[in-house]
Amino acid sequence: MQRAIEETGIPTIIIAALPLVVKQNGAPRAVAPLVPMGANAGEPNNKEMQRAIVKDSLKNLVSIETPGEIVSLPYEYI
Amino acid sequence: MSFTVVRGLQSEIFIPTIPPAFWTPVSKSLNEMVVALVTAGGVHLKSDKTFRLAGDSSYRRIPGDAKSDDLMVSHGGYDNTDVNKDINCMFPIDRIKELAKEGFIKGVASTHIGFMGGGGNIAAFTEITGPEIAGELVEQNVDAVLMTAG
Repeated sequence: MQRAIEETGIPTIIIAALPLVVKQNGAPRAVAPLVPMGANAGEPNNKEMQRAIVKDSLKNLVSIETPGEIVSLPYEYI
Repeated sequence: MSFTVVRGLQSEIFIPTIPPAFWTPVSKSLNEMVVALVTAGGVHLKSDKTFRLAGDSSYRRIPGDAKSDDLMVSHGGYDNTDVNKDINCMFPIDRIKELAKEGFIKGVASTHIGFMGGGGNIAAFTEITGPEIAGELVEQNVDAVLMTAG
């Protein structure tokens, strides 16, 4: 899906709980906080963490220069 | 001496291959971007049709100004406990609205997209649903897409 969108000329970034799967599927840009599947954007009701993850994801949208790069984000919810 | 015993023998182990890259360079700064959310997490309006949990390649439109309380998840492929407590942990609609209000980004797309990823009819996703969703985003003129999936 991310590839289909990127192909039409819109830059994309994905917040991944399973970065290796995302890499395998050829995601153009990805960030990976330490989160379980289903809470990719952070702990439920933890506005601070969610906000930081969303903000950092968007910053990485701009800063990632290599297709397929996955940047780890320093947030943990297990 | 030759080490080949059987000619043309191939490994029975599938070796995963990473598909060739797609890449659109970023041409604007964040405060000039209208951003859409796209999730494979099965998010949709409570008033909308639920996804078929065994496999569903359709997608749902989610208005950019939708309230998080009006959203729900139907997805058979992951533990829904967290997302049932707070939809923002998979679909950060309130956070993206806040960032637009602060001017960190220029704005929020008028329509976001939810679908049910994690398997199903991959050919339909690749050939039909993917291009359809991409087309919706192009029509809206969004500058960037933030996805949650995987």
